[in-house]
Amino acid sequence: MNEVAIVFSAEIMRKLRSRVFIVATLIGVLSIAALSEAPRLVTGMVRSSTNDIVLAGPPALRERVAKLLGARNDFRVVAMLDRLPSPVTAAYLDAHRAAAAIAVSVEHRALHLDVYPRDLAAFSDVQFRSLVPLNDELATGIPASRFATAGRIERTVHPVDAKFADAGSATFAHGIAFGLIFILYLAIIMGSQSMMAAVAEEKTSRIAEILVATISPISLLTGKVLAAATLALVQVVIWLASVLFLSPLALSGLERNATSVVAVAAPSVQPTEIVAFILFFLLGYLQFSIVNAAAASLVSRTEDLGAIAAPLIIPVVVAFLIAQFSIVQPNAPWAIAFGFTPFISPFVMFTRIAVTDVPTWQIALAVAINTATVALAFYAAGKIYRVGMLLYGKLPSPKQILAALRA
Amino acid sequence: MLVVDRVKRSFGSILAVRDVSFTCPRGTVFGLLGPNGAGKTTLMRMVLGIVPPDNGTIAWEGRPIDRHVRRRFGYLPEERGLYGKMRVLDHIVYFGRLHGLDEFDARDRAGAWLETLGLKGNEKRTCGELSKGNQQKVQLACAVLHEPELLILDEPFSGLDPVNAEIILDCIRLLAARGTTLLLSSHQMWQIENACSTFTIIGAGEVLAAGTLAELRATFPTRPVRVVPDLPAIRAAFASRGAPEPHVDAGGALVYDLPVEADFGGLLRDAVAAGPLETFQRDEPSLNAIYMRALGNGVTAA
Repeated sequence: MNEVAIVFSAEIMRKLRSRVFIVATLIGVLSIAALSEAPRLVTGMVRSSTNDIVLAGPPALRERVAKLLGARNDFRVVAMLDRLPSPVTAAYLDAHRAAAAIAVSVEHRALHLDVYPRDLAAFSDVQFRSLVPLNDELATGIPASRFATAGRIERTVHPVDAKFADAGSATFAHGIAFGLIFILYLAIIMGSQSMMAAVAEEKTSRIAEILVATISPISLLTGKVLAAATLALVQVVIWLASVLFLSPLALSGLERNATSVVAVAAPSVQPTEIVAFILFFLLGYLQFSIVNAAAASLVSRTEDLGAIAAPLIIPVVVAFLIAQFSIVQPNAPWAIAFGFTPFISPFVMFTRIAVTDVPTWQIALAVAINTATVALAFYAAGKIYRVGMLLYGKLPSPKQILAALRA
Repeated sequence: MLVVDRVKRSFGSILAVRDVSFTCPRGTVFGLLGPNGAGKTTLMRMVLGIVPPDNGTIAWEGRPIDRHVRRRFGYLPEERGLYGKMRVLDHIVYFGRLHGLDEFDARDRAGAWLETLGLKGNEKRTCGELSKGNQQKVQLACAVLHEPELLILDEPFSGLDPVNAEIILDCIRLLAARGTTLLLSSHQMWQIENACSTFTIIGAGEVLAAGTLAELRATFPTRPVRVVPDLPAIRAAFASRGAPEPHVDAGGALVYDLPVEADFGGLLRDAVAAGPLETFQRDEPSLNAIYMRALGNGVTAA
C-alpha cells in the first residue's frame, strides 16, 4: 500500500474515533433542522430588491400601467418597450437586470398581462391589484379613480426558464439550492477548522518531523486532505439523510410554508444534481482544505491558529453570499463569471445547476477550472507545507512564503 | 556506512553547520556531542533528508539520501510527538506501515517491542494516557519497528528517569548488537559514554574533536589523580613536584589535574612517604572533560 493510502486510512480511523467528528455531524443535523426556515427569509430579502421588470405595450397603456405598478413599490420598471423580443430568454432578462418582462395589452375590453418571469413563484395576484381600477375603466369607460382595487387581473405566465414547469418546482429548486449551498458552507467551515487544528497539532507535538522524515510532505498532505474530504462527504451524506428523514415530518407543514428547505428538498432532488453536488462539493472542499492545511503548517502554536483562520474564512463567506444572490439571477453575467472563479465556483455552480439549465460546456469548464485549481493548490501547498512543518517561531513573512513557493 | 562530507547549511544569515565531515561505519554507535545550537539537530535532519545541505554530500552505503534510502532509517527527534488520542498499538503499527511493513508484520513486531520496552498491557490505551517516559518508549518502538539500517536518536535520554534511561540504553545496545548503525546525540554524558563507540564533538557548526574514546583520551593533555586524605604533608609533596593547586571533591578527596607526562610513580612514592596515604587513583579523562575542553570551557580532566 502506498504512503498516501496508509496516511489516508490512518487519518480516517483517527477522525472517526474522535468525538469532534461525531459532535460536528450532530451539530450539522441540528443546524439543518434549525435553518430550514432560512430560505424563505433569504429569498424574500433578495426578491424585494429584484422585482425590476421590463414593460412592453402600447405607449399610453404601458405608461399608465407603469405608474400604477410603481405606486405600490412592488415593481420598478427598468425599461419600457413597444414589444418584447420573441422568445424572451433568461439572458434577455439578465441583460436588463430584470426579474421579469411583462407585456400589457387590451383584449375584449380587459387588461391582459403576458408575464415572462424567471422565477415562477415570484409574482402573486396581490402584486397586480393596483391595476384592477384600470381594468375596470377599460371595461366600463368609467374613470379608474372611481373603482376600488379588489379583483384580479388576467395574466398568462410564460416560463422563461424551461427547467421548471410550475411555480412549485421553481420554489423547490430554490430550497434545494439553498440547502446544498448551506451544506457545502457548513462542511467547509467545520472541515477547515478541523484540518487546521489537526495540522497544527502534528506540528506542535512534533510528529510532523517524524512523518516528513519518513514520507514525502506531499504524500502526507494528500493523504490528510483526501481523508478529510472523504469524511466530510460521509458527514454530508448523513446530513442529507437527515433531510430525507425529516422531510415526511416537514411535509405536513408544506401548506404553511412551501419554501421550507426540509419540505422541498427531499422530493425534488434530481440524480444529476446529486452527481453535480458531489463533484463540486469535493472540488470546493479540496480547494479550501488544501489552503487551510498549508496555512496551518506555518503556525507554531495552536493558539496562533486564530490569526490565520479568520482571513481564510472570509472567502468562504463571500462565496456563500454570492451563491445566495445567484439563486434569483443564475444567468446574470456576474453569476456565470463567478461560476468559473476558483474557490467561489463550487458554491455558484451548485446554485445555477439547481435553479436553471446550465449549458454542458459551462459545467465542463467549471469542473476543469476547479480541478486545475485543486492541482495547483496541491503543488503550492505542498511546497509551503514542506517548509512550514519544520518552521518554528514567529509566523513567516510573505517574502519567506514566496521563497518557499519558488524553491 | 554513513559518510557526511563537508556539509554546510545556513538559515538566512545564521550559519548552522559549516564544513562538517564524519563517517559512521556500519554497526557502530556514533555519538554526536555539542552544546545547544551547535548544529546537531540540523546535521541529523540533513542526514534524514528533511533539510538539504547547501554544500557537501551525505551518502548511505554509497548512495545519496533519497526517499527510498530514507525509509531504511529510523528517527527519534528531540521533541517528542505522538497522536494523543491514537491507541498505542495503532500508533506503532502506523509508523511501521509508513516504513513499508504490512499490517500483520507490523502488529507482530509491535507486540514484541512493547514487551521489550515494558509496555505490554498498554496496547489499547491512548498515547495521551501514558507517562512521559512510556510515551518516549512508544516513540522508540515507532522508530525501530522496521529494523532500520540507520537509527538516529536526538537526545533519547532527555527527561527520562534512571530506570527508563537504562531501558533505552539497553535497547541501544541490543540494536547495535543486531547490526543497526546508531547516530545519537545527548547531553547525558555518562549514558552517551556508555552507549557510543565513536564520538564527534561539534560547536558553532563545526567539528571540534572526533574519534573513539581512546583516541580522544590520547589527545587529552592531563590526567586526574585522586588522593585521600587531604593532609598538608601530601599537598606539600605534590607541590614540590610542581603540581598545580588541587581541588577538593565532594568526598573530601584532593583531585590533581596533572600533565600526562608527569612522573606518577614518583608522586605516589612521595605521597606514601608524606603520610598515611589511603587512596592514590590515576583516572582517564571523562568524556565530559574532553567535551568541555573541546568547547574551550575548561581543561579539568575529572
